[in-house]
Amino acid sequence: MSSIPILDRAHAGPLAEAPERRPAPRPPRGARVLPKRTAFRFNSARLRRLLLAWPFPLAVLALWWTATANDWVPSQILPAPSVVADTLRDLLASGELQMHLAISLERVVYGFLLGSLLGLLLGVGMGLSVVVKEYLYPTFRLLAQVPSLGWLPLLMMLVGIDEALKIILISKAAFVPVTMNTYKGIQGVSAQLVEVARVFRFSRWQLLRKVVFPAAFPPIWNGVRYGLTHAWLALVAVELLASSEGLGFLMVYGRQLYQLDVVLAAVVVVGAVGFLLDRLLTQFEGRLLRWRRESF
Amino acid sequence: MSGTIRMMRAGARWLLALAVCAGLHAAAWAEAAPAAVRIGVASPAPGIPPVFTSGAVGLAYTKGWLQEAFAGTGTRVEFLFFKGAGPAVNEALTNGQVDFAFQGDLPSIIGRAGGLKTRLLMASGTLVNIYLAVPPDSPVRSLKDLRGKRVALFKGTNSQLPINRLLEANGLSERDIRTVNLDNASAKAALVTRDIDAVFGGYDLLQLRDAGQARIVYSSRGDSPVFTRQSHLLATESFASRYPDATQRVVTAVVRAAHWGSEDAHRDETLALWARMGVPQAHLLEDLGERPVRARLSPLFDPFLVARYQDAVEQAPRFRLTRTRFAVEPWIDRRFLDRALTELKLEHYWTANDAQGRALAAAR
Amino acid sequence: MTTSFQDVASGTAAWHRQERRQRRHVQWRQFRRGIALPALVFALWWAAYAFHWTDSRLFVPLGEVWETAVRLLRNGYLQTSLAASLYRMLLGFAIGSVAGLAFGTVLALSRLFDNVVGPTLHAVKQVSLLAWIPLISVWFGLGDPAKIVFLSLAAFFPMFLNTFEGIRSVPREFTEVARVLTFSRWQLWRRVVLPAASPSIFTGIYLALIYSWLATLGAEYLLSAGAGIGNLLTDGREHFWMDQVLLGVVVVGAVGFALNWIAAHLEARLLRWRGKSIARY
Repeated sequence: MSSIPILDRAHAGPLAEAPERRPAPRPPRGARVLPKRTAFRFNSARLRRLLLAWPFPLAVLALWWTATANDWVPSQILPAPSVVADTLRDLLASGELQMHLAISLERVVYGFLLGSLLGLLLGVGMGLSVVVKEYLYPTFRLLAQVPSLGWLPLLMMLVGIDEALKIILISKAAFVPVTMNTYKGIQGVSAQLVEVARVFRFSRWQLLRKVVFPAAFPPIWNGVRYGLTHAWLALVAVELLASSEGLGFLMVYGRQLYQLDVVLAAVVVVGAVGFLLDRLLTQFEGRLLRWRRESF
Repeated sequence: MSGTIRMMRAGARWLLALAVCAGLHAAAWAEAAPAAVRIGVASPAPGIPPVFTSGAVGLAYTKGWLQEAFAGTGTRVEFLFFKGAGPAVNEALTNGQVDFAFQGDLPSIIGRAGGLKTRLLMASGTLVNIYLAVPPDSPVRSLKDLRGKRVALFKGTNSQLPINRLLEANGLSERDIRTVNLDNASAKAALVTRDIDAVFGGYDLLQLRDAGQARIVYSSRGDSPVFTRQSHLLATESFASRYPDATQRVVTAVVRAAHWGSEDAHRDETLALWARMGVPQAHLLEDLGERPVRARLSPLFDPFLVARYQDAVEQAPRFRLTRTRFAVEPWIDRRFLDRALTELKLEHYWTANDAQGRALAAAR
Repeated sequence: MTTSFQDVASGTAAWHRQERRQRRHVQWRQFRRGIALPALVFALWWAAYAFHWTDSRLFVPLGEVWETAVRLLRNGYLQTSLAASLYRMLLGFAIGSVAGLAFGTVLALSRLFDNVVGPTLHAVKQVSLLAWIPLISVWFGLGDPAKIVFLSLAAFFPMFLNTFEGIRSVPREFTEVARVLTFSRWQLWRRVVLPAASPSIFTGIYLALIYSWLATLGAEYLLSAGAGIGNLLTDGREHFWMDQVLLGVVVVGAVGFALNWIAAHLEARLLRWRGKSIARY
């Protein structure tokens, strides 16, 4: 720990020098040292961020509450927050919410896994083999031009409105971004890395395992995240149009019966689930990328 | 001097009288004509220009009597058709995008229970039957066999209540069947492709039967009237109170159409017009059964119909369709209908029925 | 051995000719292979129809699709539907992306704003796009306004996120250099921040276009009817007109392709100064 100016974002000015820091005391021998990243730091900046995040949503909630309390908007357009909370509670209590949620999640998981797996396979195939790419890529691009919702009426005619429709559509929605990103990721592996591998005389398998896949991982993971977003989008779409269970069905039910609180409750749940899935993926990503040393 | 003052006073009185007259005129003009009368119809109308002939409103639309009623007033008559049926009309009513609605009982009840300010003006299309259709080789033989099956019904429309009553009469509830929300066209398509096991609908299902693509398991024709659907014409509270004259014109035109359709002399033409919506006349006759066309078109909110509506309001919460109850009588505004009947001298044309369905007075 | 200038020149020319030949050969090979799969599908389709492998109503000969296209073009239905859809999409895209750009910029530049409004926006972003439709249909009723609100929402989030990311990831070194060169605020913005953030912003534009088109279709399926390609598809499905549905799919794909192409070329044009760099920030 010397007096090298530390150029990080929390710093005041770009060229000002860091204040002299005394070197941190060495921990006693044998003590377990937690990596700084995961230790909870009572950091005032972080606390401040946490506190600042709340006023805005609370203000919106307050506005909502006053609007409904004073009847500025008719109650059928904007039910009171308490009504929505009650509805959520009722749906939870009656088990309906869990049932619909479980069905929706099941569909998404199956469709997403199927689509991503196929996407990874195709992407890797196209990325590694020129022959495969020249045969399949044009067709793939052609099919990729039509968004998943564009395929919906055709699929409805071909496979009806049962589970098959949902799984196929969700897989397709996940398949396209995953394939695209995997292919581009593998294609974009820097030539210099491959050269180094050649110098080290890596076998094909070693080349793939130690160079290509780790280098292509960020775009591939990006593709997986997009795929999940798209899959979730396709699920809601198909459930809104032709389903007898699921969160989308709950929304249709609320809309047809003019019970906007049911719709709002379902929207909240959809958002929460989306958030949780995203978080799950981020955790997963962190786990898989532990080998990567970040420069900052 | 006093003469001048007297003259001035007289002049002032004249001015005052003039001002009052002008004010009255202004008030009359304020009531005057709206820029447009927008009528929302809870069913789709195919074709360009749209073909819509169902019920009395359809007859008035096709014969141009509504446009006639507003000729010379500078008011446009606009018709809006909703594939999403009653619930979609509710959305339009919420946003002030329609002034009148030709809607079924349940969606209007749901709207009112949710806070929509509307007024029932006249009945239009009552005692309409519901049918249950299944694929020809389906094992479903009666309503009881529907347990656990996938059934298409159009949620929030006026068929949902009689369906729920039917299910209840057979020991089932909506929870025991897997309902899929589909509009009429999608439901019929889904039945043909066997995506669903059964469909609840109207007399347009008879076409599938004749084409061999479906079998009718149940028909409410001949059964209790609690298993039938009712529809009516309503107006928004704000429109009816601001433009009573325009409202009256609309009601009178529709009553005129109802009368025209009820006349025996016009029966064939009426059926032919109704058939233009894509249903063969034979099916219309089959659906009518023994009831005369006149009964179908009766605009009266007689005790029978009021009892039906009150029943609906009471039962809807039980079927989890609404959450509040309200009294039906204050919802109905009979003034326009009464005035139309008096104007057209039709006070005794239609029979009013009491709460049990028996005629109150003999028709002329 | 000395080689004359002519020898070298003709040798180079020969080399160039060989290069061109090889390139043409590769292109021909790529074309052959690329078209193999679609050609196979078409052949199977034609065979299925010609030899009556199936009598399902769903198998229409491709000629019928062409005829339907011609018919709908003639009576103007195709043009009006497409025009209506595109109009809504472009309007929604314009509104949404401008809003997204504005929000992204403000949140990226002001930490305070980011801490206050950011978490809420990121939470709202999690709600899947089409889940907003039932709410929007009650809040905005029938007609175009509801659809345009929905489309703006669809375009907003990708644009917002990418602008935010783009401006946030401008490396500090750049701003330091600008400060050393005493750039004014406007110069800092125009010469440093915007160019550095533009790849991200263009990704945002591209994604916003894609989501807008997707949302256009969704809106036409789920919000009350008007004219549009989505309605073309829905009509075809309800009446079992496979040819119309296929035509709709082709048109939707063509528009998607056109949007991709426009976005790619726009980006190539405007980012030409970037050149091809190996290192990407």
